[in-house]
Amino acid sequence: MYKKRNMLDGLAKGFTYLGALTATFFLGIILYFIMANGLGRFNLALLTSDYHAQYFNGRPLRFEACETCERPDDLSDDILYAPQYGLGLSDTRDRGGNTVIQVTYMHPDSPLHNLVNTNNLNQPVTIAIDTVITRISYTDHPTSLTRRGAASMISDLESGATIYEVSFSTVGGGIRGSLITTLILIGLTLAMVMPLGIATAIYLCELAPINRVTSTLRSLIETLTGVPSIIYGLLGISVFVPLTIRLNLTRGPSLIAGAMTLTVILLPVVIRTTEEALKTIPKDYRLASLALGANTTQTVGKVVLPNAIPGIMTAVFLAIGRIIGESAALIFVLGTAVKDQVRIQENSTSLAVHIWSMMTDEPANIELSSTIALLILIVVLILNIGVKLTVHQLKRKTG
Amino acid sequence: MENKPIFTIDNLTVTYGQTVALENINLTVNRHAVTALIGPSGCGKSTFIRCLNRMNDLIPDCHVDGCICLGDEPCHHEDYDVISLRKRVGMVFQKPNPFPMTIFDNVAYGPRCQGIKNKAVLRDIVENALKQAALHDEVKDRLDTSALELSGGQQQRLCIARALAMEPEVLLMDEPTSALDPIATQKIENLISDLKKRYSIIIVTHSMQQAARISDYTAFFYMGKLIEYGKTDLIFSLPKHKQTEDYITGRFG
Repeated sequence: MYKKRNMLDGLAKGFTYLGALTATFFLGIILYFIMANGLGRFNLALLTSDYHAQYFNGRPLRFEACETCERPDDLSDDILYAPQYGLGLSDTRDRGGNTVIQVTYMHPDSPLHNLVNTNNLNQPVTIAIDTVITRISYTDHPTSLTRRGAASMISDLESGATIYEVSFSTVGGGIRGSLITTLILIGLTLAMVMPLGIATAIYLCELAPINRVTSTLRSLIETLTGVPSIIYGLLGISVFVPLTIRLNLTRGPSLIAGAMTLTVILLPVVIRTTEEALKTIPKDYRLASLALGANTTQTVGKVVLPNAIPGIMTAVFLAIGRIIGESAALIFVLGTAVKDQVRIQENSTSLAVHIWSMMTDEPANIELSSTIALLILIVVLILNIGVKLTVHQLKRKTG
Repeated sequence: MENKPIFTIDNLTVTYGQTVALENINLTVNRHAVTALIGPSGCGKSTFIRCLNRMNDLIPDCHVDGCICLGDEPCHHEDYDVISLRKRVGMVFQKPNPFPMTIFDNVAYGPRCQGIKNKAVLRDIVENALKQAALHDEVKDRLDTSALELSGGQQQRLCIARALAMEPEVLLMDEPTSALDPIATQKIENLISDLKKRYSIIIVTHSMQQAARISDYTAFFYMGKLIEYGKTDLIFSLPKHKQTEDYITGRFG
């Protein structure tokens, strides 16, 4: 008997350990995959640069070979250098994974700092570090092209040929637009969902009579938590997008419609979390407040809500996490075309939808997707720590 | 005015749905005296005390019949403003329940809800209330610390101070010492004896000795009925009813 009980106990423990191990293992694999693919290209430039490359054709107004542009001593051996132009080039890959020739060094005296736009000779253009050179044509030499590589381009430049025109582009592949979109979405959605959700929770928890109507309402809200977000997307495309068009705010999918849809998705979450927070506040506080001649509004405003702030912060955190992670609903109402200039009445992509767009490209861009995924993970982690700290501080303040 | 009863209760019947909690209670509560309500659990004394400041309004299926007059005014029906009633009739609960705020904010809570914002006025009210509750000396240097850092007995006296800050006429106390140790209990009992000079106090208690020690009048409730009511020394020395005698001598049941 005793032996059997011990054995069962051991078995149950074994299952628990196995379950925990499996879960940890898969989480680890996901993290490893994202890190391995994304960490290499994770840098500040990615966050601050445009997704779409900008293309320029520039030409020198008058050509003078640079006489002071000698190869600096500390220049890395990987960089190929053309002293006549003070230009250092390398073969690299762009964020989309294609082979390109990138400017990796420019001498301060390089004549290529001062070019004019071929299409508009009054407009100066400049080649900067990280610029991708796609083509250089000469007045007296065959054109240098990307596919021949940096070494060939350097030898063309060093042959003493006179540059007629340089075609170059910014790197592109940045996620600034999607980042800004996500931030605006968070702001707009929170501004709508928090007042609505908190008000509903207060009504349900503090004011509503306990009867069949309110309990039905409560179970409806519970049900809404489980509805797949793609269905909310359908709601968005059939209600919010036409509505915003009718109101002359937009001409199609937009950030406004996206934030409205997210508000509907998040309402049940915010209501439930806030309600849970309100429920944990002892009834004694409410009774004490009412017995002191406070009315319901004063009781809620001065005693109940201040004590529910940690719980409400949790609701905010959950909401932000969901906004950052939501993709299915936003594909319809926000759009899938990556934008660099974000306007709230136009379509664009959030970070999660940016991943979706990258993965539906031909070929799929797993590396950029992983980098964005890594960014999302980091932001969520920071949020999590931030909320924990806030809640901790608040708890300490009220004892 | 001084001799007039503070509360006059006529034919009070309270029901929760189908359950009758109090039946046909007739009672007059005297001014500037301590009235103790005793009786076994579930006898209706807490229900009774909650009728006096209409905390029963918060219970959905609670129904109150009969008449309760505060002074000369009937205060039991909806027409009488419940907030001004609760201003006149303060309440202290069984478990010390200070708000999770500073000591100052706790005492200033009631006056602030009445719209008093002037800091000097509030400071005077708080100081006065804390002095009356015999707590001022212990906390005067840490009014800005959380009330939850106080001991249980101090918390209960803070709750009394919080009620006194409203300058009520009546103080209802629902087993105010049942969660406290003997020393804290004694402090509160001394405090009650002091306070009856200025306030009318109605206290629910499970302790016979406490009722005998501090009260001037005692009402014995049993099964929702008022069995006996009179001067405390009479009730405890010469109870008229067998049930009262059994209860106060501990021979109950």
